Amino acid sequence: MIPEVKELIDRFDQLDYVVEEELATVLFLMLKLKKPLLLEGPPGVGKTEAANIISHYQDHELIRLQCYEGLDVSTSVYEWNYQKQLLHIKLSEKEKISAEEQEKFIFSDEFLLKRPLLKAITSDKPAVLLIDEIDRADEEFEAFLLELLSDFQISIPELGTIKAKHKPVVILTSNRTRDLSDALKRRCLYHWVDFPTFDKELAIVEKHVGGEVEILQHLVRFVEYLRGQHLQKTPGIAETIDWARALITLNATTLSPELIESTLGCVLKSQKDINEIKHSLTSILEKTSA
Amino acid sequence: MELSHFTHHQSMRASMVGFSEMCRQNGLSIGLSHTQEGVKTAQLGFIRDPQSFYYGLKSLFCKDLEEEVIFDHCFKVYWKKRKHKYAHKIQQQGKSNVTKNTKASLVMMGLKDDKNKEKPPLEEAKSVSGVSHVDQLKHTDFSKIKTVDLDQLDDLIEKLLKQLNTRLKRRLTHANKGKIDIRKSIRKNISSRDEIINLSYQKRKIQKTKLVILLDVSGSMDKYSFFLLKFVWSLKSHLKNIEAFIFSTHLIRITDLLKEDELTESMMQMSARATNWSGGTKIGDCLGSFNDQFAKQVLNGRSVTIILSDGLDDGDPQVMFDEVHKIKLRTRKLVWLNPLKGMKGYEPLAKGMKAALPAVDDFRSAHNLDSLMELENILSHA
Repeated sequence: MIPEVKELIDRFDQLDYVVEEELATVLFLMLKLKKPLLLEGPPGVGKTEAANIISHYQDHELIRLQCYEGLDVSTSVYEWNYQKQLLHIKLSEKEKISAEEQEKFIFSDEFLLKRPLLKAITSDKPAVLLIDEIDRADEEFEAFLLELLSDFQISIPELGTIKAKHKPVVILTSNRTRDLSDALKRRCLYHWVDFPTFDKELAIVEKHVGGEVEILQHLVRFVEYLRGQHLQKTPGIAETIDWARALITLNATTLSPELIESTLGCVLKSQKDINEIKHSLTSILEKTSA
Repeated sequence: MELSHFTHHQSMRASMVGFSEMCRQNGLSIGLSHTQEGVKTAQLGFIRDPQSFYYGLKSLFCKDLEEEVIFDHCFKVYWKKRKHKYAHKIQQQGKSNVTKNTKASLVMMGLKDDKNKEKPPLEEAKSVSGVSHVDQLKHTDFSKIKTVDLDQLDDLIEKLLKQLNTRLKRRLTHANKGKIDIRKSIRKNISSRDEIINLSYQKRKIQKTKLVILLDVSGSMDKYSFFLLKFVWSLKSHLKNIEAFIFSTHLIRITDLLKEDELTESMMQMSARATNWSGGTKIGDCLGSFNDQFAKQVLNGRSVTIILSDGLDDGDPQVMFDEVHKIKLRTRKLVWLNPLKGMKGYEPLAKGMKAALPAVDDFRSAHNLDSLMELENILSHA
């Protein structure tokens, strides 16, 4: 490991974010090369959290764009404030202003509603731009993003092309519900985030919840076992933390079948999964105890 | 493949160019900018530590989880200090791809059979020219279509699919007469001051239906799988949102292969990937691996799942029952198209088919073009 990466890991550790060497290396490279980073992986493994922590680490503002089907330019880039424009025209009717001047004025910065992408580009301080769940957006939107990601500029017909004052740090996340285009991937660094190893997950839970190590170890092993089953919804790290929190709140010291049964809803989110696991609770507990 | 090694080059830059070249030869899409960034990465100090160097280059050069394997091999061969320990592995990989390609003939099996076997011509498929012939072709069971009619069938499929698509589009846009969009209306009428003359309408964004197709290519489906695959392929070129899988003893995703412009090219690649063409049938297990690997990503409340299979299963009916129900839970509509259903007197008596039926929303035949065209109804009502 090169010293710079080691430093980054330590710094993240102080910020309560546990990161393995590979992701730390990639994040370091992202900052150095000023290249967008695409994080792919199952839900609940801390992809969004990585962007959060980078913004903390850099002390930059985090600008987040949540993608969804039908996302378009007016909700992601900019929109004119029509009501304000109309009002202004009405109010200035008595003044003798030429139409040209009027037009120039109502299509100025003051009447521009900035949406996340434009905000990230025009902000005075460098920012961290998180484009979350890009796979949910339409392919058309993906194509639009290409211009932004390669040149960091956006064209607005009335104002011309706006270039970024500071290149924002861009992190894209995807759950892989569809394949992203090659063109987009080419412009990004790529990293696959998988479910954490036992040690990493334990470290995360200890950091976020605290409490007795024995019960946490057992709990993490239990969740690991659940991930190996063919469940409808595989629990992520967030669920593990929730569950640990619930158990600590209940002052639990050991995992018992009754305790698990009453708190299983923290970690499993489907009735069918819960029923299945409930049936074999004691045997799972035996298998997962050290 | 020519084996390359970083010691073959004089400088670090040249080494990186060599490495990019090698990755490119092995199928990674590496551009000039990637090489430059690779050099930059090395200069940033990554070259001092093999592990960091590996992680850094990996994030640069890999664009997919699946590409990691290729990259790993390349990296190990190229940057390894001593011998080419992994060289043989790469070579083997290259070779196996070539041999698999020859299996393309298997894909066309359904066709070749027809050529070889002299079958008594069926009443339905008599070579009559003109419209009536086209009409008959629509009704002819795929397993009984003669090779002579194939070209004509191609055209027919193409034409019918176009119709199907325009009809689908019309239906969707017509159904959505929107509300008045106040904001847009005001903007449009700025020029006329107080009068609002032209109104703008807001249309509801049409939610695209996702089509997930699971095609059985086992031995018992040989007669049909070629036509059905063709059908799936042409659907893909007309509709955007399609995920397709083929299965016999195991499941293979073919969505990416359908992107090819030429059907034959698609088929070649498919047969290179599918090692189990015309094999046995383990429908339950295959649907199981679909549920484990893909269902969570591919299926949602707007997806229509179509299983194209004869339902003749070698596996346990209980597995089939469970897996089909699992799919049913995740999809909006589950359609089973069974070519055998076109036969007179067919009843779903096979154990597997019987087990699956309760979860299926729509059970239809898929033995001729007419029955495939009924998909229109399924899609537009979904």
